[in-house]
Amino acid sequence: MQHLLDWILWTPALGILGILLIPGKSHNVIRFWSLFVTAVTFLMTILLYCQFDPSIPGMQEYFSVKFPWIEQFHIYYSLGVDGISLPMILLTGLLFFLCILSSWTITKSVKSYFALFLMLEASVFGVFMALDFFLFYVFWEVMLIPMFFLIGIWGGENREYAAVKFFLYTFAGSVLMLVGLIALYFVSGENADSFNILALQGGKFGAMTIKLFGADWNFGKIVFIGMFIGFAIKVPIFPFHTWLPHAHVQAPTAVSVILAGVLLKMGTYGFLRIAFPIFPEAAVYFSQGIAWLGLINVIYGALCAMAQNDMKKLIAYSSVSHMGFVMLGLAAMTTQGVNGAVLQMFNHGTSTSMMFLMVGVLYERSHHRWIVRPDGTKGFGGLYTQLPIYSIVFIISMFASMGLPGLSGFISEALIFLGIYKTFTTITVLALVGLLIGAAYLLWMFKRMFFGDVNPAVVEYHDMNAREIFYMAPLCVAVVLFGVYPSPLLNMMKASVGSLVSLMAKFQ
Amino acid sequence: MEYSLSTILPIVLLPFFAFVLNSFIVKKFTKTAVTISCLAIFVPFIYALRIFIDFVFNKYSADYYIHKTFTWFDLSSGSQIFKVQMGIYLDNMSAVMLLMVTGVAFLIHLFSTYYMHDDPRYGRFFVYLSLFTSAMLGLVLSDNLFSVFIFWELMGFCSYSLIGFYYEKEGAGNASIKAFMTTRVGDVFFLLGIVALWTTIGSVTYVDIYKAIAENSLNSPVFLFGLGIPIATFAGFCIFMGTIGKSAQFPLQVWLPDAMFGPTPCSALIHAATMVAAGVYLSLRMYPLMDAGGLLEAIAYIGGITAFGAATIALVQTDIKAVLAYSTISQLGYMVLGIGVGAYNASLMHLITHAVFKACLFLSAGSVIHSLHDHHTHTAVQEMPRMGGLRKKLPYTFLAMLFCTLAISGVPLFSAFVSKDRILGDALVMATRSSVYLIPAILGLCGAFLTPFYMFRMMFLTFFGEPRDADLFKHAHHETLSFNRNIPLLILAVFTLGFWYSGSLTGQGIGDKVFPDSKYEWFQVLVEKPVLSKFTSRTTTPLDVPERKEFIESSHYDPERGFASEEEEHEVHHIHQMGAIASIIIALSGIFLAYCMYISKKFSPAWWTTTFSRWTAALRNRYYFDHFYVDVLIQKGLLQLNNFLAWIDMGLYDRYAVDGWSKVLTLFYSMSRWFDNIVVDSILVDGTGISVRFFNIVLRTIQNGKIQFYFLVLLLVLAGYVLGFKPVI
Repeated sequence: MQHLLDWILWTPALGILGILLIPGKSHNVIRFWSLFVTAVTFLMTILLYCQFDPSIPGMQEYFSVKFPWIEQFHIYYSLGVDGISLPMILLTGLLFFLCILSSWTITKSVKSYFALFLMLEASVFGVFMALDFFLFYVFWEVMLIPMFFLIGIWGGENREYAAVKFFLYTFAGSVLMLVGLIALYFVSGENADSFNILALQGGKFGAMTIKLFGADWNFGKIVFIGMFIGFAIKVPIFPFHTWLPHAHVQAPTAVSVILAGVLLKMGTYGFLRIAFPIFPEAAVYFSQGIAWLGLINVIYGALCAMAQNDMKKLIAYSSVSHMGFVMLGLAAMTTQGVNGAVLQMFNHGTSTSMMFLMVGVLYERSHHRWIVRPDGTKGFGGLYTQLPIYSIVFIISMFASMGLPGLSGFISEALIFLGIYKTFTTITVLALVGLLIGAAYLLWMFKRMFFGDVNPAVVEYHDMNAREIFYMAPLCVAVVLFGVYPSPLLNMMKASVGSLVSLMAKFQ
Repeated sequence: MEYSLSTILPIVLLPFFAFVLNSFIVKKFTKTAVTISCLAIFVPFIYALRIFIDFVFNKYSADYYIHKTFTWFDLSSGSQIFKVQMGIYLDNMSAVMLLMVTGVAFLIHLFSTYYMHDDPRYGRFFVYLSLFTSAMLGLVLSDNLFSVFIFWELMGFCSYSLIGFYYEKEGAGNASIKAFMTTRVGDVFFLLGIVALWTTIGSVTYVDIYKAIAENSLNSPVFLFGLGIPIATFAGFCIFMGTIGKSAQFPLQVWLPDAMFGPTPCSALIHAATMVAAGVYLSLRMYPLMDAGGLLEAIAYIGGITAFGAATIALVQTDIKAVLAYSTISQLGYMVLGIGVGAYNASLMHLITHAVFKACLFLSAGSVIHSLHDHHTHTAVQEMPRMGGLRKKLPYTFLAMLFCTLAISGVPLFSAFVSKDRILGDALVMATRSSVYLIPAILGLCGAFLTPFYMFRMMFLTFFGEPRDADLFKHAHHETLSFNRNIPLLILAVFTLGFWYSGSLTGQGIGDKVFPDSKYEWFQVLVEKPVLSKFTSRTTTPLDVPERKEFIESSHYDPERGFASEEEEHEVHHIHQMGAIASIIIALSGIFLAYCMYISKKFSPAWWTTTFSRWTAALRNRYYFDHFYVDVLIQKGLLQLNNFLAWIDMGLYDRYAVDGWSKVLTLFYSMSRWFDNIVVDSILVDGTGISVRFFNIVLRTIQNGKIQFYFLVLLLVLAGYVLGFKPVI
């Protein structure tokens, strides 16, 4: 099982080859094949979890894979897993499996849709596993291609604009990352470890200076800023967030789920894996600023969410707000804060996916997402009476998203608050406002859609079918289980997070 | 009984498992689900009774407690240690609370089998009830603030679901959001307080907090917006904000009256046994913190304002449930006032007595409402102007409600006389010591006059006089004694009698001479403020050996503070006696005034409403709080801000600053296109071609192969050379 990571990474890629062999008209064969491939991948991620030794801080030697790829430039094909990437890998495995189920209703060029979807899965796994910076960058960029087409072809009315915006925005960020990557390569001596993420870590570049525009700059800080922007666009952190509502509104349901559930976490994962450990001095130096940006995300995202009349846009802004909590936890660099942040990455992945899936379920019946239409009439109304099962699942997703105790979001948010209070007291107080508004916009949306008289338009909707219940059930179980008993997740991550925190503590 | 986690946790877990199980089976097996729910609260009731007997009749001393913990999750790795511990904390106070919660909740369950029976969502109601009681029981047993917060929020969720139970009504949606969001304002502060304490002390168990206060380690300042506030004040304020939200204190009282959108038994549960009691319970637990933070005066003011303000609003309500809702707020105000004046014990006692009579009042109101069915609109009638004379039709309900009304009015021999007047007595004592407390004490006394008035107004309008809606009255069914309609009411009514709570029938020590045993007041002896000094010596491992102490004869006044001298004790006693006599007079005059207005019609209520029309309007509009919060703060403030920000975000920032880059790029590439087309291509590239062609022409002309021409050029060059020109080439 030493090559388990290889298998997880390349199974979806092999699945694409399989899809290419299936005739384009046999839609169901393609769907079941994709389902099979993602199911196998998901099972392998669970196997990885079972064999994972949570007591080891840092990379697990047992699973590591490393061999030369481009030897002239010391680029390796190097994969590894630790307590920070494992939750993300599990999340990716789970969400892609469920998204295939929710994509069952796609009828437009089925073959290429599923092929691109599997390609996306492989590239996301690659990002979370890569230990070679160059390899990381390659997967990071490859991920853009399927996303671009998935939004641009299967999206809503304004899909091309959204797809191009998404692509260009992320690409601009990656260019900054590329510059940093190359700079690091030369600064670290162009040797076998120059692209090795682990070897670069530990604050080796804090004292170096770089000449730019005729002045001396601290190398660490300059490159950190570049990489910060690159990752911040992905998270997204204010003011780089505006691509997100467009992309979400236009993307098909499953792509929205992956975007919010997994892709946003790549940004914060980048901080945890690359930006913070490689440039700890710079991260500590800028931590105040990062925390304030996180706070802006929390409050600004929540306030903007409250003004939205489109369900997907509302949830997109709520993602901005929730990712702000992750940034707050990261900026604190304390045990509780960083554990809370990683936990929040996972929990937001499940809860926001539920929200998007629920929107998708409704959209398939209504073909619109207006809470209130532009002309001021209610888009829905009385859904509680009409769709009882849907309403209950929606309530679970909504309260999970707003962090009700007993559901998963609460523990991560509480840990983040505990982590940041000592360092950023004022920010903690202000961030709690976000918690308040976070409940308000969801409940208000719920009230406008589900309470009151049954809107004549919704009378014909039928309740959730077996397939829809089947893909919502695991997420419901996950939010309840990890809300009541978070230890499986926390035990998995705490050793790795602990070593990161102690690394950062040296520079504080 | 051996106390360990496995023997105590079932109290919380049984209703919780009932909730989990019922939420799956409720649709198909409604009856089974209801039975399971009722059993799942009855068994904890037996448990609680057992614990209560153990704790109270075995006479454990007031500072005896059982503290058992387990690790919920553990983030420790390497040198960083962080564990989240959960546990149970059982002392006399929790024993009393447990018995009250399970007992009242069980009777509410029983009544609900009558009240909700014909509701299409009969079963689902019980699902929520089970979760609600389970959360409250968990809160009572919690040993730390963090788990209190968890159960606290779960109750918020339950109240949200129950208030929005009739989701077909638009108003139910508004009311449920209002309840959830208003309490969440307090909850957010509460969480902040927890975080502040946790970071400072390293734990939020009661034991550790008491210990930290005793060791004076909570004086370090918190820096907020550049201001330094002592941590005890800051955390105490935040936690008290939680109480303000949950217990509907001024200025967050607005949610409670709207909570009556839910089914009536759920109002009984929210108003009596669970939700609102949780807030006061929390403040009682955190009393030492509030004390250390110097917040007691402010708390007394909040309590006094709430007690009086809500009582005035209750005067003009016409909906029977609204009267009860405002009386709840007012009574909660008394409890908070009690905390503020240091009447720790009396405050808890009032919490218990209030829970009993308020549950009974709400259930009775439910019984009244259920019997009045408007056949035109097919709704139950809650408006008192359409009632009247119902005591003939509903004799048992009338009896139960009368008992409760006498109790809440503070008539001697009934429970609230003992508890409320001890709070007022302590307020008076504090007022004589420091003039700061004068206003809360006066507000409390004024409220004590209004309470019997509006309660008897409700009684007279509902049960006395002639039926004002004859048609409605005619259709009302005669009440027959049934086990799930009247028995819960009558049981609760029995417990509104004072002697259950106090050895002296009259309380206040007036009857000391008549009843010499009256000093043996179990409640006052067994529940006392946490004696902080006893916590300093304790290590984090809890003390498990029971300390059995016999009843100690002690005065009912604050044992920790003690009395400096005989005279002081005498003086306190004296003030209490005077207070008690005053409040008997006040209560009776309130009842008399109500009698004059609504039975003998000596004064017309209409005269008052017309003479003080502006005041009446202010009262009817609840002092415009709802208007201010909803219309001004939310509609004009928050929503406008949201729209503005959203417009900035998408309409301005995204459109111009982000998409503006495409304009900048367009400019760049049109410039570079121009440069490319004109400079590079037309001038440089094509220019090269043109110049080549030009030279081509020139050279072709020159190099034309005619020897004569070459010769001519040669001659010209030579001629030039001769003439003194230097050759070009």
